[in-house]
Amino acid sequence: MIIEFTCNGEMKRADVPADMRAIDLIRDVLGLTGTKEGCGRGECGACTILLDGKPVSSCLLYAPKLNGRKVQTIEGITEKDGKLSPIQEAFIEEGAVQCGFCTPGMILSSKALLEKNPYPSDEEIEEAISGNICRCTGYTKIIKAIKSVSDKMDMGN
Amino acid sequence: MVKKSFTKIGIAVKKIDGVELVTGKAKFTADMKFPNMLYGYACRANVAAGRIKKIDYSTALAIPGVVTILLAKDIPGPNIIGILPPFDQPLLASEEIRYEGESIALIIAKTKAVAKSAAAKIIIEIDPWNPILRVDEASKEGVRKIHPQGNVIFSKKLIKGDVKKGFEEAEVIVENTYHTGFQEHAYLEPEAVCAVPMANGRITIYASCQSPFHLRTHISANLNVPASRVEVIQAYTGGSFGGKDDVAAEIGSLASIAAVKLGKPVMIAHEREESIIGSNLRHASRIHYKTGAKKDGTIVAREIEILLDGGAYASESPFVVMKALIHAAGPYNIPHVFVKSTAVYTNKTYCGACRGFGVPQVTFASESQVDELAAALKIDPLELRYKNGLRHGDATATGQVFNQSVGLIETINKIKEKKKHSHPTEELNNSRWLYGTGFSCMLQGISNGAEGIDVVGASVQMSQDGSVLIGVGLTDMGQGSRTVFAQIVAEVLGITIDKVTVKQVDTDSVHDSGPTVASRGTTVGGMAVFKAAQEVKKSLVKMASLMFKSEEDQIILKDNFVFLKNNNLAKIPTKEVASAAYWTGFPIMDLAFSKAPEANYNHETHQGDIYIAYNFGTHMMNIRVDRYTGKVEVLQHIAAHDVGKVINLLGIEGQVEGGSLFGFGLAHMEKVIFQEGKIINANFADYAVPTVKDRIPTETILVEDYNPTGPFGAKGIGEPPVAGAAAAFANAVADATGVRFRKLPITREDILMAITN
Repeated sequence: MIIEFTCNGEMKRADVPADMRAIDLIRDVLGLTGTKEGCGRGECGACTILLDGKPVSSCLLYAPKLNGRKVQTIEGITEKDGKLSPIQEAFIEEGAVQCGFCTPGMILSSKALLEKNPYPSDEEIEEAISGNICRCTGYTKIIKAIKSVSDKMDMGN
Repeated sequence: MVKKSFTKIGIAVKKIDGVELVTGKAKFTADMKFPNMLYGYACRANVAAGRIKKIDYSTALAIPGVVTILLAKDIPGPNIIGILPPFDQPLLASEEIRYEGESIALIIAKTKAVAKSAAAKIIIEIDPWNPILRVDEASKEGVRKIHPQGNVIFSKKLIKGDVKKGFEEAEVIVENTYHTGFQEHAYLEPEAVCAVPMANGRITIYASCQSPFHLRTHISANLNVPASRVEVIQAYTGGSFGGKDDVAAEIGSLASIAAVKLGKPVMIAHEREESIIGSNLRHASRIHYKTGAKKDGTIVAREIEILLDGGAYASESPFVVMKALIHAAGPYNIPHVFVKSTAVYTNKTYCGACRGFGVPQVTFASESQVDELAAALKIDPLELRYKNGLRHGDATATGQVFNQSVGLIETINKIKEKKKHSHPTEELNNSRWLYGTGFSCMLQGISNGAEGIDVVGASVQMSQDGSVLIGVGLTDMGQGSRTVFAQIVAEVLGITIDKVTVKQVDTDSVHDSGPTVASRGTTVGGMAVFKAAQEVKKSLVKMASLMFKSEEDQIILKDNFVFLKNNNLAKIPTKEVASAAYWTGFPIMDLAFSKAPEANYNHETHQGDIYIAYNFGTHMMNIRVDRYTGKVEVLQHIAAHDVGKVINLLGIEGQVEGGSLFGFGLAHMEKVIFQEGKIINANFADYAVPTVKDRIPTETILVEDYNPTGPFGAKGIGEPPVAGAAAAFANAVADATGVRFRKLPITREDILMAITN
């Protein structure tokens, strides 16, 4: 079936089988391999994308469900001039990245949180990234990175 | 030691490969695509033990999109992999099934989905046997042999002093048996390889792996081609923790065989379930400890028997046996020690390297017993550790004496300071919450040492523009070693880190440096990089002294310039000196090796110099337990480690925080559940990897007791926190609940059951 959707600001049109997973459309057809597959069962969060701004596991989503919607992947969150977004900068700055495999999903979940709630509490951060497993960092530096974005926004005010 | 000031060492440095990781641009193996690429998927045994009677793949082969199906007979080489003798693991089984994950047939198809669906159509008739599942059963006389040589994989003894005499001197003796469970590495990226045949008869393999040279060895042997025709390139690797070694060699060999046969690229990328079932686990263990002490707390003797469940294949069991053996006595000065350490085969997923490598298991048991001894002696547990802890000039369990870099006592002192500010736990107890504090002391050998070879090769190549390319044979799997290597070179050559690039490991372009294991990256790898950089520095200094018409000892390299000492105005950009050196014919590239000194080591008694250094640590964990639910909250966790010298503060904290949560998972949450030898929870819903909600508030304290064998005095930190956190957790639970759990994991259910009974 033919679907049309916005991906990282660009209109996309694709002919997809009804049982194709969104992750396969994104990775194999669109070539956006920043979206990772860690478990294929919606348990690890590595395949997180933003669908109309909300984080979802693209491995649990059928591609036709993207029709008419707005998709953002990790490739679409850098600034227009190619500069890193504040949350990406913060992840590097605070040491929140080790192997980097959970990072795209983790960053997208964090971004969705910060857009809805620029000054989240620890509990709100926990809730927002509780579906994203990281085996390397122990999470402390990830939380620091998310908070540092709020702090920087504070300084900007 | 003259105190030197550094500009690139001992500070927090951002990961040099951070940008490609946060933008999703870094290509992991499964992200790669090549023209005409095919996909491989293995059909597995799905029973724990038995004999294959018949394989019929005719239906599977007829499915559109299936290109070929490989069986054991199609493997040109010996159909064997294994990191250490006895090399005992087939790529594809043709006769005996030794565990459920055993691959029997490899389907190659145009898509992964087709390959997977074809696997379900292969008919394999297996004559099932009763699986041997328990270590005591496997060790019994007359039991079925899982491998021809019997069920003992490896067994060794450590003999220091006279343990019988030691126990005669003892006034108090404690004795108990402890158990630990299996642990899954659970790196977020499942294993993946892609084999690409080249026109010139060579083959290039891109792999998510820990030790590319292991892959090259196994791939060339099983392809039956010279190793020099095989190139293995490590792709970005999404964690490994000891896990992407045997399995990477397995799927690397299979993909290569198919790729060469078909003349097309072949990708094999595991799914999560395959990753859990079909790659090694951490050894489960049963460990018996007997400790004897004088009434004043002086430990005089320890007798220890370790039995490790090795699963179906040897993997790294022989070295894990040794590592457990050497570390079992703990970081204490004990005159009489006897340890026996054995690994046996069972019909379960094979066990091998997993962050800590046998040390977390023995440290949990040892430190639990030290607490039990403290209780029997009525001595404060931390004081007992302080009294017996290794100091400079003391002999370890192998009789090795370090006169430098034994920072254990300083880590205990740091914890004592912290403890002063903690509230006495019993005063906090109330109707709902039970408070407790646990301590642990540990040591972890750095480098392969006398276990195996310990050579690392590194190249440092400066270009005429002053930038530097580093090649080193050890891999970065996320731990940040590339950043550490870049810092070392930037420091030596006085250049900024942005001038440095660290290559991916490519077996074509670096010396075989052995595996990236044993927390040796920074220490042994860093030393090789350091040495190569020193040689490049010599050329720059020589050139600059000619340019300045000055003595060589007047030359300083700093901030991308070459300065004349005491004269900030006399400076030449490093790139100009590099260019002049090039045109003059001074080498601005060097290939260096770091090799551990020849060790005097007795492999019968395990006495002698085993490692080039130890990391020492002391952990303190404050917890509270909910009497109603058994839930544990970690209120405070302090991890003090002697790292010799900090290279990257950000990286070290990351290792301590991540390693501690890894240990916490082992101690409290993670349980591989076997039923009839089959893992029934091979997914992240049923196997509980810590999430953000389970994180612990680790605070890192770093002690720097200079290590002469590491670059700038550094020692490794990758593995040690696992053991420290796991052992401290167990002691904290015992302190809070009054119940001593002698097995890991100590789950919430275990705690609730114990405190309500």
